[in-house]
Amino acid sequence: METDIGKLEVWARLIRRDIVTMTHLSGDGHPGPSLSVADIVTALYFGTMKVDPSRPQWQDRDRMILSKGHACPAVYAALARKGYFSPDVYPTLRHIDSILQGHPDVQKTPGIDATAGSLGNGISIGLGMALAAKLQGKAYFTYVVTGDGELNEGVIWEALMAAKHHNVGNLIVLVDNNEYQSGGAVRNISGILPLLPKVEAFGWHCQEVDGHSIAEILQAVKAAQAATDTPSIIVAHTLKGKGVPYMEGNNAWHKRTPTKKEYQEAMMALGGVE
Amino acid sequence: MTARQENTRFAFRDTLIELAAKDKRIVLVCADSALVVKAGDFQERYPDRFFDVGIAEQNAVCVAAGLASCGLIPFFATYSGFITMRACEQIRTFVAYPNLNVKFVGANGGMASGEREGVTHQFFEDVGIVRTISGVNIVVPADASQVKEAVRAVAGIEGPCFIRIGSGRDPVVADDGGVPFSFGQARILRDWGSDVAIFVMGFVMNRALEAADRLKHEGINATVVDVHTLRPLDVESITAVLQRTRAAVTVEDHNIIGGLGSAIAEVSAEEMPAHLVRIGLRGVYPESGLPDPLLDKYHIGVVDIVNAAKKVIAKKALTTSFKR
Repeated sequence: METDIGKLEVWARLIRRDIVTMTHLSGDGHPGPSLSVADIVTALYFGTMKVDPSRPQWQDRDRMILSKGHACPAVYAALARKGYFSPDVYPTLRHIDSILQGHPDVQKTPGIDATAGSLGNGISIGLGMALAAKLQGKAYFTYVVTGDGELNEGVIWEALMAAKHHNVGNLIVLVDNNEYQSGGAVRNISGILPLLPKVEAFGWHCQEVDGHSIAEILQAVKAAQAATDTPSIIVAHTLKGKGVPYMEGNNAWHKRTPTKKEYQEAMMALGGVE
Repeated sequence: MTARQENTRFAFRDTLIELAAKDKRIVLVCADSALVVKAGDFQERYPDRFFDVGIAEQNAVCVAAGLASCGLIPFFATYSGFITMRACEQIRTFVAYPNLNVKFVGANGGMASGEREGVTHQFFEDVGIVRTISGVNIVVPADASQVKEAVRAVAGIEGPCFIRIGSGRDPVVADDGGVPFSFGQARILRDWGSDVAIFVMGFVMNRALEAADRLKHEGINATVVDVHTLRPLDVESITAVLQRTRAAVTVEDHNIIGGLGSAIAEVSAEEMPAHLVRIGLRGVYPESGLPDPLLDKYHIGVVDIVNAAKKVIAKKALTTSFKR
């Protein structure tokens, strides 16, 4: 587990480079929402989670569910860089016979803790894992990463109620609040805003952070871990496409693959040429 | 026809408690359905192994998936339609696809089990829906004794399973030797001859047995087959019976699309072509009422089975005469 924020930022840059490389080489995937969640994923896998790449099924490991499963290139990059599998598989993303499915698949990809990606279901699965930990007397945490658009789904609110009722202090939800969903700006599609007062009303331990500050994310996670008698949610404000200037805030990059020229430009922006 | 009754919901609950005493991995998930499935005694004995997640079935299925992924054996029990229709996607994507060890127990399986509640609580598509989802074992017991056996059986199977239970006012199968249960095996309950096969699933078993009796009095010899396990389906036994009779009637308290009738039609079409008439709900939504009058009104009556048997035998005779 890395505590040096500078080093974690280097990891985050590598994860971003991997996301762009993966989507470019495979010719498919969702770079925009993967880049917005990259710092959250880096903070979790490199800055706090107890995992062992040599034992993906280790019973005492912390769990991570990417409920916004379409951003899986970010998690695949983190798992590869942790050592679960080789980055050599990146070009196979979304291709036949690949271990890297279009959305996370618990049976195909080492290190993935739950199949996810049809939106809205991750918090409920995480609640099941958190309840299991309490029943089995285990100390692990379950992290669930959602999008903000995803919170349109009704089952999200079922899970928020149930998790509060059971007061699972070992369940920590992080919202990659990039303000966009597939069809456009979140504010233009549903009446979910303002978000935080709604979740606060559900009784959760609530925090807001800059989702591109790994220091802030880790500080909030620490506070969430300390809130042992209630589930926690961290709304992380992010920018879709963060790190690649021509993708930032441009929802056209929700699902689009970079051309060779765009790839090279992105790599330059992310600090280095291949 | 009034048969002795035994509550299938109690049968489920009592067996679950029996199993939970031996296996601490067994837990119960409810969606404010503890009263429905009579879970009070389980809750009292194992309060830390009972999880009510509110009237929220999609949430419940995913919670069960999370529990199972950590090595527990969750049973999720509520009304059958709320599991299979409200949370259909969650069953498919988060339990069946990752092959998690979750057991679904659906109450009010069939029109007669929903009885006076009306169509909102009468579930006759459940088996058909689950049959389209790969990897989920399916058991439709014929009475409380089979529910007990089915619960024991699925608890010992690694992977997703679905069991149908009833209203709590469920007939006991009036068979001298009881209705033995062996997971995955169709069982011949009456072996009276090759004129016609009657395949049956669920709580309408007594109607099929009575129909076979009446047919016998008229000189028609039927073979009655209890098909309680819809997946894995006992294709071999079903094929053998079809080969012998070449005429079959299916009987189920379910839509004729997707359930037992479809399953037998599939086996027949692929393995052993035979004349077939399906008894079940056919393109209708029923209504509130007591179970027996409902079954009679919606053509799942003894007389309907008898007539269907005669019809299918006549068809068989026609084909045979053409051949000659």
